[in-house]
Amino acid sequence: MKINAPFVEKILTSFIREETTKFHYSKGILGLSGGLDSSVCAFLAAKALKPNNVFALILPYGKSYSEDVKDAQEVSKLLGVPSKIIDISPMVDTYFSRHPTKSRIARGNKMARERMSILYDFSARKRALVLGTSNKTELLIGYGTIHGDMACAINPLGDLYKTQIRQLAIHLGVPEKIQKKIPTAGLWTRQTDEGEIGFSYDEIDKILFQLVDKRKSKEEIISQGFKKENVEKLIHLIKNSEFKRKLPPIPKISARTVGHDFLFPYDREK
Amino acid sequence: MKVALVQFSPHLGDVKKNLNLHFEYIEKAKKKNVDLLVFPELSLTGYTLKDFVEEVAITPEENQLIEKLKAQSRRISLVFGFAEEKEKGVFYNSAAFLSGGKILHIHRKVFLPTYGMFEEAKFFAQGKNFNTFSTPYGKAGMMICRDFLTYGASYLLFAGGAEIIIVISAAPGRGVSGEDYYETSHMWEVMGEVISRFSTAFLIYCNRVGFEDGKHFAGGSFIFNPAGELLAKASYIDKDFLIQDINLSDIRETRKKWPYKRDDKPEVILEALKRIVSKYED
Repeated sequence: MKINAPFVEKILTSFIREETTKFHYSKGILGLSGGLDSSVCAFLAAKALKPNNVFALILPYGKSYSEDVKDAQEVSKLLGVPSKIIDISPMVDTYFSRHPTKSRIARGNKMARERMSILYDFSARKRALVLGTSNKTELLIGYGTIHGDMACAINPLGDLYKTQIRQLAIHLGVPEKIQKKIPTAGLWTRQTDEGEIGFSYDEIDKILFQLVDKRKSKEEIISQGFKKENVEKLIHLIKNSEFKRKLPPIPKISARTVGHDFLFPYDREK
Repeated sequence: MKVALVQFSPHLGDVKKNLNLHFEYIEKAKKKNVDLLVFPELSLTGYTLKDFVEEVAITPEENQLIEKLKAQSRRISLVFGFAEEKEKGVFYNSAAFLSGGKILHIHRKVFLPTYGMFEEAKFFAQGKNFNTFSTPYGKAGMMICRDFLTYGASYLLFAGGAEIIIVISAAPGRGVSGEDYYETSHMWEVMGEVISRFSTAFLIYCNRVGFEDGKHFAGGSFIFNPAGELLAKASYIDKDFLIQDINLSDIRETRKKWPYKRDDKPEVILEALKRIVSKYED
């Protein structure tokens, strides 16, 4: 699972630059949380497009993550990337005061979608392409909010496992504090990804790598020494999140149907 | 003779823009006295065409663009890739060899990768032949990308007498755990060396670069001489324009030392293949 980080940097910066130009944009925009993935994406975008052509939105809910806000600001300052802080609590609180819920997940998802909504609004205002920050681990196990943090125009990090993003972060010089941060989806305070899933990213990624990249069967992976319940949990998470990785199905009733046999590349030049 | 490879990134679905790019490279090559200029697979159209195929496909006999390229080929021989409408509504992933104002040969891709990220057989008809043809530089044969990863295809060109094998490609890179190039680039080079040695022929491989729908074409175009020696290699993943002098007398020199061509027994292989195929149970 080791990556050649300088080579990967070159690939991903070319990708960001090429795709942005292809869609006739010169700028990129992203949500900066102060965590590892969005910081790495900001570093790549700043190198690919030049710092002035990247816009970072820092979108905290109230004061609950003031440390993260500071870290996000530090990244934007370090890179020379302009940024703006927008507190999403007024919008989110107004909604939940009228439609209360006790579900932490429902609140977290709403927040993720509030952030998406602001990102896309600023994407139009700034004529900047939304850069995604979902990594391969999250995409595979469905650890993201559909139409929330998963929404983007292009996703430079989507084929890198979390542990590979850490390798890239070291190479890019992302501040050590951020490199070592405990990963969280930020759905609620003190939530951690690993706490929720039940085992470490190191192990998650190793199992996913065997399952997905190496196409090994459940039995083969267990025989390598991984815990049965961990392997089964990941297989379950992958199966249950397929809908997050696909466009919704359309019942085919005509001769030619979007998604079925009206098939064009995404990179359709204008 | 002087060979040049254009390792570029065509505009997806925009034939006009791509034709202009072809002319730019032709001008550049003419200034350097290049004899043979090679473009990558589907160089006139881009690779990930899907339903674009029917919009961008060309029928060479009645096409203005091809006439323009044919006119250019009076001064410089050209190999390029395009979507071909050979018969009405039947589309091929094709490679053309133009020289002396004429189309000397069209190869239609036989092995259309249709698995994983590839879906060529959904949109293209399958070619049926690996023919060699005479050129001002000797007998040549062409393959398109995946054709070259098929054991028997290179042999057919060898048996047909190819002295120059030209492979045009749109090969995406995979594997980033090693050196400063994709792991798959290494595979292509190994194949290039092996086939040039087996064939005691020049092996010219022209790949493209750039992204299409996230697929990253890996570049790394190369030329091997008939003795399996690497003569030139383009950069990985970056655009490049590779010019190389090749010495056609190397074919004769190598074949004196390694008489694979003299010792080949196509009739034995043909009969053996017939026996294998006749035993198929389904």
